Amino acid sequence: MNCLDYRRILLSGDGETEAMRAHRMTCVSCAELLKEHAAFEGELRGALEVPVAARFADRLLGALPVPGSVEAPRQDRRRFLAAAAAAAAAIGLGLYAWRGRDDPMAMACIMFVMKDETKSIMMGAMPRAEAARVLAGSLPLERLDGIGKVMHIGPCPFQGGTAYHVVLMVPQDKVTLLIMPDTPMPARARAAHDGMYASVVPLRKGSVGIVGASAAVVDSVAGALQA
Amino acid sequence: MDGAVTAGDGGQSFDDAVRTHAGDLFRYAYWLARNRQQAEDIVQEALLRGWRAFSGVRDRAAVKSWLFSIVKNEFYRATARDARHGGVDAADIDIIDERSSPFGMEMREALMALPVSYAEPLALQVLGGFTCAEIAAMLETTEGAVMTRLTRARQALKRLVVPAGAHERKGERS
Repeated sequence: MNCLDYRRILLSGDGETEAMRAHRMTCVSCAELLKEHAAFEGELRGALEVPVAARFADRLLGALPVPGSVEAPRQDRRRFLAAAAAAAAAIGLGLYAWRGRDDPMAMACIMFVMKDETKSIMMGAMPRAEAARVLAGSLPLERLDGIGKVMHIGPCPFQGGTAYHVVLMVPQDKVTLLIMPDTPMPARARAAHDGMYASVVPLRKGSVGIVGASAAVVDSVAGALQA
Repeated sequence: MDGAVTAGDGGQSFDDAVRTHAGDLFRYAYWLARNRQQAEDIVQEALLRGWRAFSGVRDRAAVKSWLFSIVKNEFYRATARDARHGGVDAADIDIIDERSSPFGMEMREALMALPVSYAEPLALQVLGGFTCAEIAAMLETTEGAVMTRLTRARQALKRLVVPAGAHERKGERS
């Protein structure tokens, strides 16, 4: 066991093994790391433990069919299913616009989110002042602030150039933006893949790819950016 | 509920299992769906399926992981239907802490930014108390893959949750 092994196993979260403990007893830096890790885990648990609605278990059990009966869903369940059917119909209408050939640039945006987004976030954010300066000509930060909460922004390699990766929290969901100041786009383009939707829309200078988990949220953000 | 269904030979009743795990099942669904209403719907639908299948459960010790698995399956079923974000009420989304700096990310916000593929094993481990091997079985992948995802998830969170004023890239600090 060396420090690298200790750190690797510790971060996987399965707890400290006997071999790890033996190493820690002889290593000041790993002992310090364990203290920091314990504080981090406490914070992580606290964040994951979102509040649960009062009497949630009772409501769940109350919505189940009565044992021994022929399944007779309760009224609230029928209402839930009716609402779900209405929502599905609305989504179906929205999805109609997404039919057709997937645009390669929009598809590349989806692939970025699926494969490279976390790596990009881990590379770090850029100072807001610098982001404001480099994006002023294409998509001013104030515009993004008016749509949602910017949670991350940083440069990233994309399609042979540099894009600016933005994680934006809007009321409906989290969306990813890839602002490409040097990549013009003549018209809006779309793609859908594996439950993800992307739209690339032209900007005053360059273009921006918008990726989200629903067509509705991507359309909504695209509309707000083009307004 | 009267006449609660029990698993196998006099095992824990379905009601007991739901009461014991409802909170963590909801939280798990929440970190998959990132939306309270959707999470409640996923758990409710999952438990309806679970209720129908519960009489076939023989391994009492596995009830907890079985419940988490059906919630997971229901989430992916809902995602496939593309109903995941239908009718989301803005009031259901967690409010961002206005005290944080524009680029500062508190832990819950950082978790929101994590891809589901990383948040999922993390929630199973921290909320469900499952080991990497158990999570691997639930997610139908290898233990090594789970360890990698968990490690990367924690690294990403540590990178995102940084003290105010320490958001610049390393190269820009010098």
